[in-house]
Amino acid sequence: MLRNSNRWLWHSIFAAILAVLAFAVYQSSQKINYNWQWERITPFLIDTSPKEIRASDSGTVEINADNSITINFDYGDEPQQIINYDERLVEDGDLLFEGDLVARSEQWTMGPLVVGLWVTIEISLISLFFAIILGLITGLMRVSHNPVTKNFAYLYVEVIRGTPLLVQIFIVYFFFGTILDLDRFAAGIVALSVFTGAYIAEIIRSGIQSIPPGQMEAARSLGMSYPKAMLYVILPQAFKRTLPPMAGQLITLIKDSSLVSVISITDLTKAGREVISGSFATFEVWFVVAGLYLLLTTILSWGVQRIEKRLATSD
Amino acid sequence: MTRNYDGDDMIVATKVNKVYPNKCHALKDVSATIKRGEVVVIIGPSGSGKSTFLRTLNQLEVASSGDIWVDGLDMYANSTNINTLRANVGMVFQSFNLFPHKTVKGNVMLAPVKVSGRDLDDVEQEAEELLKRVGLADKMDVYPSHLSGGQQQRVAIARALAMKPDVMLFDEPTSALDPEMVGEVLDVMKDLAAEGMTMVVVTHEMGFAREVADRVLFMEDGELLVGDTPEYIFDTPKHPRLQQFLSKIL
Repeated sequence: MLRNSNRWLWHSIFAAILAVLAFAVYQSSQKINYNWQWERITPFLIDTSPKEIRASDSGTVEINADNSITINFDYGDEPQQIINYDERLVEDGDLLFEGDLVARSEQWTMGPLVVGLWVTIEISLISLFFAIILGLITGLMRVSHNPVTKNFAYLYVEVIRGTPLLVQIFIVYFFFGTILDLDRFAAGIVALSVFTGAYIAEIIRSGIQSIPPGQMEAARSLGMSYPKAMLYVILPQAFKRTLPPMAGQLITLIKDSSLVSVISITDLTKAGREVISGSFATFEVWFVVAGLYLLLTTILSWGVQRIEKRLATSD
Repeated sequence: MTRNYDGDDMIVATKVNKVYPNKCHALKDVSATIKRGEVVVIIGPSGSGKSTFLRTLNQLEVASSGDIWVDGLDMYANSTNINTLRANVGMVFQSFNLFPHKTVKGNVMLAPVKVSGRDLDDVEQEAEELLKRVGLADKMDVYPSHLSGGQQQRVAIARALAMKPDVMLFDEPTSALDPEMVGEVLDVMKDLAAEGMTMVVVTHEMGFAREVADRVLFMEDGELLVGDTPEYIFDTPKHPRLQQFLSKIL
């Protein structure tokens, strides 16, 4: 019991120090007359304000049996259908002009920060997928005995690891993007995949090389071809060992994805910048953006820990 | 190339040399013939090249020169698929080299399923029989890390046997074992020999050599110096270096 209460003492000291730090941050922001406006952040996360639905051209209103609104346009265009709304502002047979208010919807929509978060997740996941494929191929090339594949893999890893990601993004977007006609989203994914692939290749190479050579010998002595021995004996073991560094790389990927905002992809970071220019809540927005990144990476490392535990059964 | 290949010969090695890139000459013109059903034990001091020679017999070491024939297949002929040849040559290692991510049964089943593409149920049944044969019926579903060294080595033997090889190579199978576990592994090997399996064994177990071997090869400094019956080798050794070696270990 005594030991337990001691533990709690240290925990509360930790909490107290945190509180002091937070207070210090608050005080110093007061000193520069910063006006904290946390409540202004919420609409940028979830937009709860009513949405106005307007007529897209001139026409006649028709209320259908299921209460949906159809606007038949004067010039025979495809009629406008409005199905989901909360408040109707027109009657059957009303004549409307372009831009007239037809109905209001109370539906919540994702604010720009959540949309940005979603773009970040999307970019990270797609890049991760290609980076793993690229890394696996390069890692296997690195451990092969053929000088051609080995040297190519070495060159790729060295070039990518030796240059800054920001520069790579610019090169991919402006050079390759122009030659191959890539849009900014594709360019961002290519840059992130190629960059992360080089690091994953090294992780996979060291994972494969950490497996005792006797494993390969045993597999080969049973008549397995090199690819089969890799697939059924070496890689399953190597995968387990590479999981912790792989998780680290994944988290790095999510954080690095913030750099694609320089080529105008509206990811979480870019969304944050846009929101600031509209709200002037600079401090709050950056804290929220950081919090959202942290949330993402925390969920991820928790998930990887669980996989590691499950794979630990054969140890 | 038609050579004096005889249907009775399981392995024919002629003038096998192994030179490592660091100029270390590990095998010097080693020639040996192993007959079908024969148990051949290779002895010699550490670094004499006996393990290297054994490993050339399934090409885990590529011989620098020389020819090796296994069951009528020329190992270095372009037409020979090394994987097919290896599937016919079982190998047991000093350090077991079991697959740690597979259960005991999974270890035994992996190669027959993935290499020979055989039916899973058949293979499973055979794996169970093999494991019973090596006395591990109660350990089928555990992972190798939970087994003692002797048990692991018996699993390794069962794993090699699962491919139904015509010849088995043993590379110091008992050297990494605690003394009390050596017996159980040697017993499995004796059973195997009694069933007529062709075996090439590198070992320091002179008792096993004397009891089980049809022929004993003595190697030193990469050379095969003497090859004869165990009685001749152990009771009336003529070669001075063999005498010297035996005087040290017996």
